Amino acid sequence: MAFRPVFIAVVLAFGLIVAAFLVNRARPRVETDQPTAALVRASGKCAECHLQQQYSVVHEYELSAHAGKGVNCLDCHQPAASQQKTDHHGFVIAAKLTAGNCRSCHEPIYQEFLRSRHAATSWAAVFGEEGLKPEQVEFSERYQPGGARRPAHPLTKLEGGSATTSGCAQCHSVGKPNDDGTIGTCTACHTRHTSSVAIARLPTTCGQCHLGPDHSQLEIYEESKHGVMFHAQEKLLKLDAPPKSLTTRDMFVPTCATCHMSGLNGQKVTHDPSDRLSYYLADPITKPRPNRDRAQAAMKQICVQCHTPPLIERVYADAERVVVSTNEKVQVAGEIMAGLRKDGVLTSAPFTQPIDFVYFDLWHYDGRTSKHGAFMGGADFVQWHGNYPMLARTVELKAKGEALRRQHASRPR
Amino acid sequence: MHPARGSWRTDHQLWIEAFAVFNFGGLAADIFLAHSQNRFRHEAEYVPLYFSIAATIALAAVVPLRRSRPAVWRDVGYLIAWLAVAVGLAGVIFHLDSRFFYDRTIRSLTYAAPFAAPLAYTGLGLLLMANRMVAPDTPEWPRWVVFLALGGFVGNFIFSLTDHAQNGFFNPLEWLPVASSACAIGFLLVVLEARIDQAFLRLCAVVLLVQGLVGAVGFALHAEADLRQPGATLFERILSGAPPMAPLLFPNLVALGLIGLWVLAPHVREHADVVERPGRDGGEQRPRAD
Repeated sequence: MAFRPVFIAVVLAFGLIVAAFLVNRARPRVETDQPTAALVRASGKCAECHLQQQYSVVHEYELSAHAGKGVNCLDCHQPAASQQKTDHHGFVIAAKLTAGNCRSCHEPIYQEFLRSRHAATSWAAVFGEEGLKPEQVEFSERYQPGGARRPAHPLTKLEGGSATTSGCAQCHSVGKPNDDGTIGTCTACHTRHTSSVAIARLPTTCGQCHLGPDHSQLEIYEESKHGVMFHAQEKLLKLDAPPKSLTTRDMFVPTCATCHMSGLNGQKVTHDPSDRLSYYLADPITKPRPNRDRAQAAMKQICVQCHTPPLIERVYADAERVVVSTNEKVQVAGEIMAGLRKDGVLTSAPFTQPIDFVYFDLWHYDGRTSKHGAFMGGADFVQWHGNYPMLARTVELKAKGEALRRQHASRPR
Repeated sequence: MHPARGSWRTDHQLWIEAFAVFNFGGLAADIFLAHSQNRFRHEAEYVPLYFSIAATIALAAVVPLRRSRPAVWRDVGYLIAWLAVAVGLAGVIFHLDSRFFYDRTIRSLTYAAPFAAPLAYTGLGLLLMANRMVAPDTPEWPRWVVFLALGGFVGNFIFSLTDHAQNGFFNPLEWLPVASSACAIGFLLVVLEARIDQAFLRLCAVVLLVQGLVGAVGFALHAEADLRQPGATLFERILSGAPPMAPLLFPNLVALGLIGLWVLAPHVREHADVVERPGRDGGEQRPRAD
C-alpha cells in the first residue's frame, strides 16, 4: 500500500477532529459547564421552541441578569421540593413556579419576604386563614400581629367568586400559600422571565396593586415631587444598579423601592416593604407599629441621603398631625356606627345598609388617602381626596344615622 | 444513459436505485418523527413528508421499467431528482430560519433545527441524476458515488457534532461519531483526489465498516437513552430524546460508499499507486508510473 494516501487521509481526519474540538471549545463555558446534560440542553434547546411559540418570553429572559450569569430555563424550572413534576419534551420541569423555586438561590431574601405583610398577611386580608397552614399563620403572627389570624373579608362573600378571583386575588396572591408549602411568588414584582431588579424598582410595578381609592400610593407618588422628578429624569437613573451597592449616584430620584427597600448608600436592603414604616396607616384608627422607633430611624436614614434633618423632622411632624387628626375624624364616625349598633338601630350584617358603605369608604378610602398623602408629599390627596370627602361622608353618615334612628323610633314595638 | 445489462447482483446501477428507494422511504419515517417533535407547526413541514412518500412510490414503480421503458425510468427519475434537490436546499434555508438567521452564534447553530439534515434530499437527488447521466461502466460513475457518500459523511460529521454539542458532549462517547465520520471523510476524499491502489481501497472498506459498527453502537445508545428519557409514552420519549434513526445514517452511507468502492475497484491498479482517470476526451488516462 502506498504511504502517501494513508498519510493524507489521516491528516485530513485528524484536522477535522481538531477543528471540531476547537469549535466546541469556543462555546461559552457557562453553556457547557453544567452539572447535568439536561442543564446543558436547556441552555439552548428551550429557546429553540419557545422562540417560535412565545418569542417575548425568550427575549425577556435574554435581557435578564439571569441570562447574563448563565442561569438557564431549567435552573428555575426544575421542580423544587414538593412541586409537581411535568414531563416536557425530554425535560422534567415545574411548569408553575413559586417562591419555592427562587429560594433555592435567594433564601435570605425569601425569609425577609416571609416576615413581611406581602406574605401571609396579604393573602389573609382577603381570604383569612384559608389555605394557610397553622405554622404559617403562627410564623406570620410573630412578625405581623393580627395580620394572618383573621376571618376572610366579608366582601368576598358578598361580591362573589369571580370578583374575588379576577379582582382581589390578583394582588393579594403575592402572599398566596402554594402547594409546595411555600408562600407567594417573587414574579409579582420582578416579573416572570426578566427577573428584573429594574422593573421591581419602577413605581408602576408597586402601583399595579398600590393604587386606587383604598391605597392611592401610586397616584400620590405621581403628584409628589419625587414622582415628578422621576418622570423627568428616569432615563438618567440606573434602575438596574445592584441593590447592595446602590447609591444616590445611581438613584438620585427615589421610587417606592428606593425608600422602602433599597440599600441606599450602604443602608441594609430589605424585602420587607414595611420594615421602615412606623404606623399602621391602613387601619381605621392608626396606631404605631411595635417597632416604630427603629423603623422610623431606618426610614429617616434613607431620607437623610437626600434631605436635611430639619426637613425630614418637619415632614414627619406634619404627617403625624394628619394621622392624629384623621384618627379623631374616623373615631367620631366609628362612634356613630357603634352607637347605632349598641342601640339596636343597626342590626344587619356588614355591607347590607347604605350607611355601612359610607363609613367603610370614610376610613378605607378617605382616611387612608389623607394619611398616605401626608407621608408621601401628596397635598391634593391630603385635602381633596382625603379630608374633604371625609368631612362630606361624616355629614352624610350623621344624616343617615339620624334618619335610621327616626325610622327605628317610628317602628311599631 | 442506457441502463447497464447483466445479473442484478452486479448491476450497480440497480443497487443505487434500490438505495435511493430505501432512503426516500427511510426519510419519510425520519421526517415524520423529526417534524412531529415540532408538531408540524408550519405547513411547509409536510412537504418533505409527502414528497418522500411520493418519491418512494414513484421511484419503486419506475425502477422495474428500467430496461423495458428506459425513457420513463429516466424522466421520472430526473423529475424526482430535481425535486429532491429543491426540497433539500429549501429545507436548509427553512431550518436555519428557525433561529440562526436571527442570532448568528455557535449556540443558535447548535440548537437550530439540524440545518444539514435536509441536504440528504439534495444528495439523493444528485445520486439519481448521476445514475442517469454518467455511464455506469466508466470510472467516473463510482467516483460520483464515492463523492456523494463523502458528502453524506460530511453531513454526518456536522450532524453528530451539532447534535451532541446540544448535550455539551456530556458523555465522552458522543465524540465517537464525530471522530469516526472525520476518518471516513479523510479516507473517501483521498479516494477521489489522490493516487491509490487496491490495498488502500480495502483499507477504505475497513474504515467504512467501522462506521457501520459506530452506527450500530450509536443506535443502541440512542435507544437506551430514549428508554430512560422522561415522557408519558415511548413515542414521546423518542420524539424528545436521542433521535434513534440518526446513527443509522452511518451504516446507510457505508452501503453507498461500499458500492462506490466496489465499482471503482476494477479501475484501480492492484499495486501501483495510480488511478485511471478519465481523460479530457472522455477516454481513460494512461496510468502514471511513478
